[in-house]
Amino acid sequence: MKSSTNWPMKTECLRKNVFCLRGLAVGYIGFLILLPIAALGASAFHSGPGAIWRETTLLRSMASLKLTFILALMTVILNIFTGTATAWVLVRYEFPCKKFINGLIDLPFAIPTVVTGIMLVVLYGPNSMIGAVLGRFGLEIIFNQPGIVLALLFVTFPFVIRAVQPVLIEMEKDLEEAAMTLGASPFQIFFKVVLPTLLPAILTGAALSFSRALGEFGSVVIVAGNIPFKTLTAPVYIYGEIESGNLTGATSVSLVLLTLSFSILVLIHFIQRWSRCHETD
Amino acid sequence: MKQIWMILLCLCLLFGCGRTKQPSEQPVTLTLGAFTVPKEVYQKQIIPAFCAHWKQKTGRDVRFEQSYEASGTQSRAIQSGFEADIAALSLEKDIDAIEKAGLITHDWKNNPGEGFVTRSIVVIAYRPGNPKNIKGLEDLAREDIDVIYPSPKTSGGAMWVVNTLYGAGLKIAELKTGHKNSALAKKFLKSVQKRVKVMDKSGRMSVTTFENGIGDALLTYENEALLRQKQGYLFPFMVPEASILIENPVAVIDKNVEKHGNRKAAEAFVDFLYTKESQMAFAEYGFRPIDDTLALKLKETFPRPEILFDIHYLGGWDNIQKILYSNEGIWNEIINELANEN
Amino acid sequence: MKRTNPVKFWAQRLSLRHVLTGMVLLWVLLLILFPLGGMFQKVLAAEPVSCLKSLLAPSARLSFKLTFWLTLGAVILNTFFGLVIALILVRQNFRGKLLLEGLIDLPFAVSPVVTGFMFITLFGNNSIMGHFFDEKGIRIIYAFPGMMLVTLFVTFPFVIREIVPVLKEYGVEQEESAYVLGASSWQTFRKVTLPSIKWGLLYGITLTIARSIGEFGAVLVVSGAIINKTQTATLYVHQQFTDFNYTGAFAAASVLALISFVFIMMIQFSQKKVKGGTWE
Repeated sequence: MKSSTNWPMKTECLRKNVFCLRGLAVGYIGFLILLPIAALGASAFHSGPGAIWRETTLLRSMASLKLTFILALMTVILNIFTGTATAWVLVRYEFPCKKFINGLIDLPFAIPTVVTGIMLVVLYGPNSMIGAVLGRFGLEIIFNQPGIVLALLFVTFPFVIRAVQPVLIEMEKDLEEAAMTLGASPFQIFFKVVLPTLLPAILTGAALSFSRALGEFGSVVIVAGNIPFKTLTAPVYIYGEIESGNLTGATSVSLVLLTLSFSILVLIHFIQRWSRCHETD
Repeated sequence: MKQIWMILLCLCLLFGCGRTKQPSEQPVTLTLGAFTVPKEVYQKQIIPAFCAHWKQKTGRDVRFEQSYEASGTQSRAIQSGFEADIAALSLEKDIDAIEKAGLITHDWKNNPGEGFVTRSIVVIAYRPGNPKNIKGLEDLAREDIDVIYPSPKTSGGAMWVVNTLYGAGLKIAELKTGHKNSALAKKFLKSVQKRVKVMDKSGRMSVTTFENGIGDALLTYENEALLRQKQGYLFPFMVPEASILIENPVAVIDKNVEKHGNRKAAEAFVDFLYTKESQMAFAEYGFRPIDDTLALKLKETFPRPEILFDIHYLGGWDNIQKILYSNEGIWNEIINELANEN
Repeated sequence: MKRTNPVKFWAQRLSLRHVLTGMVLLWVLLLILFPLGGMFQKVLAAEPVSCLKSLLAPSARLSFKLTFWLTLGAVILNTFFGLVIALILVRQNFRGKLLLEGLIDLPFAVSPVVTGFMFITLFGNNSIMGHFFDEKGIRIIYAFPGMMLVTLFVTFPFVIREIVPVLKEYGVEQEESAYVLGASSWQTFRKVTLPSIKWGLLYGITLTIARSIGEFGAVLVVSGAIINKTQTATLYVHQQFTDFNYTGAFAAASVLALISFVFIMMIQFSQKKVKGGTWE
């Protein structure tokens, strides 16, 4: 017969485990995540807040931040619609090759960003079939802002979809069915029943897309013209400042970009918590 | 299912491990940090030739570790801890920066080429048949021409290009009025910059962009154009009416050779770059030789532009860095002005 | 004979379902399949012999080997620490939990260029840490350790983010029962917790693998791109491209994409299918 559990020893053991685990976690995160960010911050303040302000408010650095923000926003808005629709189709409908398509969603993670840029230039550039056709209508995608949005759409493709899918799967259909029996149209059901449940997930995916789009480098540097004020995004601007030895400039804009992306993520966390609290009503 | 995972894991481990050959005797290892453009000539000709030469001279093998990145990137990498024994860069100022950081302690200019191992000029590449009838640098300011060159922020090659345009402006003013007029030079540079639609990260990428159908004219190193022709591609180019003399420096990095104990081999390599054999190899790949007699012999391959000036005409790298590329410099002014005008 | 209006004809047959599916498929086609297809087509159009030759070249093989070791390291370390952190996050309560959640998502907010730049600032020649390691003779940046750190940074969130929702859903009852019945923490973890998060864990590992294989910007800045030594597969692709060796570049890129794709597809097909859904 098994002896009864020795509770004092068990709790002591568990407590030791807890501290062990916490220590490990804190150590890892501290070393891997916090330390590099702190180094960046330290290097920024080493140059002095005045220099940081001056570098950040340079016309061309502000222009790159503004451009990045606007293009990322456009990407996110497109992703919200197409991502939700794609998730809906993948969860609710059946069609041939569904598993294949579902696997493809994660593929942008696997493609090196530089390859994405090259692919887009080769396929939609002026020398290509499509590029030539569009060129006749005066539409130039590659090396212009639409090309940047295209690259950003590619690399941020999975975020909204993968955030929304689990929620859709979890969702119980009885609320929708109830609404249907009460005479609601499909659109009404979607907007009043489904969408509110999906909203936190959509926002999470949107925030991740936005952060990724703000920071995207490898594909944008190839697909954009990199002309200051017109097609020069913040990450490419930062890279240029690093390469030309202006480390203060690079550090300042990096910090601004980082703060912007991180704030969006934190905001979404708060929205999620708030929505969870209200869910229990 | 579990079995499939196990098989996959085993396959990965097998693939990942591989076999490494154990050297019988430790060869000397030299690490070369170079800019991107001379990669082919170093890898295919000069390094194998040096290995044979060293083996013959000392009976030992020498192994090379090579990195080819943009000149500025390589310079920063070496300053930040990349342990290159020899730096072969595009811009003199990039070697000076390494020297200022304390990594080079000898007088690296004290040799036959005064520290420079290859030369080149800026050329204009155009579409076959020259449909837009481009005749020289001044045509690049025309409204109907789209110009390509890389960004001076990230590419050493682009700095040579912008220096050429600015210097050409100064020269033209000097020929007309008798003295350098920086306002006229700025106007010329601005008029060409206005025609630029794409600024790639590096010289190589801008050649790729040009080949992908963008632009009517590409400003690039002469040796890049010659290399492309050597590789069998139709790449017509012209020597413009004015160009800066591009001179690429090489230096042994004292701190690293002291640490690695391979100073003799490193210095021998740098000396080797000045031999006739190496200079011929450079010439084959489109670089103008430092050696004057050889340059004379190859006059046909490397025609001289009407106006040829060097970095000293512009006051040296420190001066041009301040005038053109600093935050208050002319190039940034031009960028801001062009943005406001649009 | 009644004339059928074609628009009305199709409108009657096509429901919203079909239209939506069609539009989504078109979107996926244009955005994902088309560029990918173009890339594979370029590879297939080239001579297979020259493709194979470039893939088997020493620098190609060594770059793939390097990517392999970096990926393996990222998977092992981030899975282990990911599990630890996820368990703490879900099963324990402490001050600063919100901060922890934020920190986990931080790598998503950092641009690859900035990631590389941060580690150079931290471990470069002119830093405290840099001098410390230099004295010991250990190379961090421009060598394998630096690349490993950067890969760990960018792949940090994946495993955690996949396990946390599952752990939250799962609840503690079964674990508590196990404790009451006398199981040790380790036994509980191995036999109760782990099986329940199996699919989330595997999916997180797959994403870690895919991201680690494809990482470019950060590794570019931090590696020095020393051929045959610190050149990963993605840096090799970049080098091939800038050497005008497009066939070699696309061939290597296709191999990378295929490897990730295989892992992703395996997860897809081996999961127990749940009604209409694509994973548990």
